[in-house]
Amino acid sequence: MRCDEARLALSLRLDGEPVYDVDPAALDEHVAACAECSGFQRHAERVRAALRFEPVDVTPDVAPAVLAELGSFKEEAPIRSLSLQRPARTRRPLVAAAAVAAVAGMAAGAAFVGIGSEPRSPAAADLPERIVAAQSDIGSVDARFVLVERGLPGDSGNGDDNDGERRYDGRLVYEAPESLALTLARTGAPASDPPLQLVVDGDGWWQSTARQCAPVPGQSTCPDGARRWVRSVTGREPFSETSPVPLELVSPVDSFTLAGTPASLGTRTIAGRDATGVVVTAAQMASFLAGLSAGDDLRAVHPGDPVELWLDQEHLVPLEAIVRAGDGPDRARWASAQATTEEPGDTILAFKVHMLAINAPVPDDDFVSPATSVAPNETVDAGFRPADGAGSEAPTPTDLPAGFRPYRSGTISGTGGPEIAVGSWTDGRAWLTVRSTDDWPGDRLFGGLGTNVRAVDLGAAGVGYMSDDGQKVALHADGLDVVVSGSVPADELRTAAASLGVTGRPVPPTWDEAATATLAEAAAATDGLLVAQGLDGFGPPAVRTAGGTVSLVYAGPGDRGFTLVQSDAPRLTPPADGDAVGVDVRGVPGRYSAERGQLEWVEGGTARSLSSPTVSLDELLAIAAALEPA
Amino acid sequence: MEEPEPATIRAAAAGDLAGFEQLVRAYQQHVWRFLRRLLGDASLAEDVTQETFLRVYRRLPTFTFEAKFSTWVFQIARNAGIDELRSRQRRARLASVAPPPRPSAAPPDTRVEIEAALASLPVELREIVVLVEVLGLRYHEAATVLGVPEGTVKSRMFNARSRLHRWSTADDGRASGEV
Repeated sequence: MRCDEARLALSLRLDGEPVYDVDPAALDEHVAACAECSGFQRHAERVRAALRFEPVDVTPDVAPAVLAELGSFKEEAPIRSLSLQRPARTRRPLVAAAAVAAVAGMAAGAAFVGIGSEPRSPAAADLPERIVAAQSDIGSVDARFVLVERGLPGDSGNGDDNDGERRYDGRLVYEAPESLALTLARTGAPASDPPLQLVVDGDGWWQSTARQCAPVPGQSTCPDGARRWVRSVTGREPFSETSPVPLELVSPVDSFTLAGTPASLGTRTIAGRDATGVVVTAAQMASFLAGLSAGDDLRAVHPGDPVELWLDQEHLVPLEAIVRAGDGPDRARWASAQATTEEPGDTILAFKVHMLAINAPVPDDDFVSPATSVAPNETVDAGFRPADGAGSEAPTPTDLPAGFRPYRSGTISGTGGPEIAVGSWTDGRAWLTVRSTDDWPGDRLFGGLGTNVRAVDLGAAGVGYMSDDGQKVALHADGLDVVVSGSVPADELRTAAASLGVTGRPVPPTWDEAATATLAEAAAATDGLLVAQGLDGFGPPAVRTAGGTVSLVYAGPGDRGFTLVQSDAPRLTPPADGDAVGVDVRGVPGRYSAERGQLEWVEGGTARSLSSPTVSLDELLAIAAALEPA
Repeated sequence: MEEPEPATIRAAAAGDLAGFEQLVRAYQQHVWRFLRRLLGDASLAEDVTQETFLRVYRRLPTFTFEAKFSTWVFQIARNAGIDELRSRQRRARLASVAPPPRPSAAPPDTRVEIEAALASLPVELREIVVLVEVLGLRYHEAATVLGVPEGTVKSRMFNARSRLHRWSTADDGRASGEV
C-alpha cells in the first residue's frame, strides 16, 4: 500500500466516511509499520481534539443585538447599535443550542460511551467530581417542585381521565445526614385524596403510598381506604440501602460517581439560582428517578432515554430534570409494549424546582412522622438498636475522608441473619458505613456486593473485594467479615477499608467470588481476549473465568453497565430469540437481540457477546468497535 | 445537530420574533465557532454572526424545507464570512501569506500551534476543516454548505490534513515530495 493511499483512507476513516477499496487490516498493518503514516494519523487526531474541545461558555450571545436590530427586543439596559460596538457579554451560554447538539449526539448513541465523534464539553468535564465533592457542603435543602408525567396510556388503570398526563406538586425537605420528608400531591386532586408521603428521621421511617386495589378472590369491591397504604418502620440502620431514602434527590451522587464527561447544556437560571446543565441517560439517573416516585409508580422510562439534568451550580442539587423519549426501533418496541403514547423527542417526565433554600434552618417538625396520628397498615422492626456499650462493635477506620465525624452506631439482630455490628460516619450528605459480623455462614462475600467483584490490594490490610460499581469494599478475615460502603469515591472507601485494622484474605475456593480473576490472569489464560480500554464513564471490569469462558463486567454510573463474555467456541449458538437481527460488528457479521440487549459475534475463533439492559445497540456497537486485545 | 420544528421556522418566517430568537439561540454557537475559525478573529466572528442571523431572518420566507435548516444557516454564515474577508481584502492576503514560522518555544501540536497551522491554510481548505473538524459535519453536508461535489470535500479535507501535518513537522520539502 502506498503512503498517500493509506493517508487518504485514514482521513476518511477519522471522519466516519466510507473507505472503499482498502482492506482495513492492510491499512492498520501499513500504519503500524510506517512511521510517517502513523505520525500523520496521530497528528490528525490531535488536531481533532484541539478543535472540537472548546469551552461552551465563551460563546457570545448575539440574540439581543440581532433582535434589537430587528426592532422589537426589549431590554432594560440601553441597546447598543449593531455596529462594531458589541453588546456586553452576557455569558448566556446557549442552552438551546447546546441542548439540541447534545440530544442530537444521543441519536448517535456513541456520544454516551465517551468514544463517539460528538464534541465533549470541557465545561462539564469536572462535574462528576464536583457533585461527589459538593455533598459534604449540603446541610439542608427545602425544595418545592412540580412533577409531570406525560404519554401515559389512555386508561392508566385507576379510571382517571388523565389525557395521558399526570401532574404533581411536591416538596422535599432534607437535613443532613439522613432526615428527609418528601410529599407528592396530585395537582387538582380532591382534598380527600391523601398525598404520597415519605418521612425518614433517624432510625425510623414512615410512608404513605397510593395502592391499586387488586382483585381479591371472593371480594368484588375494594375496602374503604384501600387506595392508601401506610407503612411504619423502626429499627432502621444508618444509611440503610433497603429503605427508600432518596438522597439522590438531594444530590445525584450515585449517578455521577463513575460518570465520564457528560455533554454540557451550558448554564441558565432556575428558581433564582445559577444552574448548570448536562445530558445523561435515564439509566444513569435511575436512582434519582426511583427516588422521585416516593413509593408510587411513576411512568416507566426507557433506560436509553435522554435526560436533560440541571443542577445548582454551587451545591449541585437537582433543579430540573427532563426525560425525553429516545429514538430507534428498540425504543419504539418498548413503548408499544408499555402502551405509552409518546413520539421520539417528546417530554415524558419533567421535574422542576420552583422554590429552593439550601443550608437554611429547617424546623424540626418537618420530620415528625405522622405515625402517631395515622394507624399504619404495616409495621416493621428492621432490627437495628443503637449501641449501648454491651453489644459487639464494628471496626473503626482510622483513615476516614476529611471532615467525617462519627454518626449512629449499633447492632442489628433478630432478623434471622447473623448479628451485625454497624458504625457510620458522615459529613453533610456524604456518608460511610462499616458493617461487620463474626458469624457469617459463607458461600459468598458478606455485604451484598453481588457476584461481580474485583479483588483490590489493600496493602498491609491484605486483599479486599470491591463491587463493580465501586460503592462497597468487603474483607473476609479470620473470624470476621466486614463491608465498607458509602457515597464517597471508590478510592476513599478503599483507604477506609485498609485502615480498619483487619487483614483481608482471599475467599475460600468454594465461594462464589473464587472465580474472580485479574485482567492479567484472564488475558494470560485466554488467547485473543478483547477488553474495553479507556472507556470514559465506566469503571475497571470485574473479571470472572470459568471453563474457557471469561466474563468482564463493566459498571457505569447509576444503572449503566455492560457485560463482555468471551468463550472459546468457533461459532455462535443458534439464536434463542426470534427477534435477533443481523448486524455488522467490528467488520464481521454478528447478530443483535433487542429482547436480551445482546450483541454476539465470532472473531478469531472466539465467540463474543456484549450485553446490557441499559446501554443501547448503538452504544454497544461503539463499545465493540473500540475493543482492544488485552 | 438537531433540526428545529418546522412550525418554529414557519412562525419565525411569518415575523414571530420569539420563534426567531429560539432559532438564533439554537444555532449561534455553531455559527460563531465556524466563523471564528474561518476568520481567525473572535470579535469579528461575533459581528459576522450577527450579520448572519439578520440575513437568515430576511431570507426565512425563502426557506423551502428541502435542505436541512442547519445546512442552510451555515451556507448563509459561510457567505457572510467570505463577504467579510473580501470586503477587508483579507482573503487574498491570507491565502498568499506564507505560513508564519513555527514558534520554537511552544511544543508541537499544542492548541495554539494547531490554531496557527489552521490560520495558515488557504480559505477553501480552512472552511472545510472547520465544517468537518469543528462542527462535525458529514462530507455530504459540508458539500451542500459549500456548493461543491462531495468528492471535492474528500480531496480538500485530505489535502488540508496533509498540509497541517507538514506544518507540524515543519519539513515541507521532504513530506510534499513523498505525498
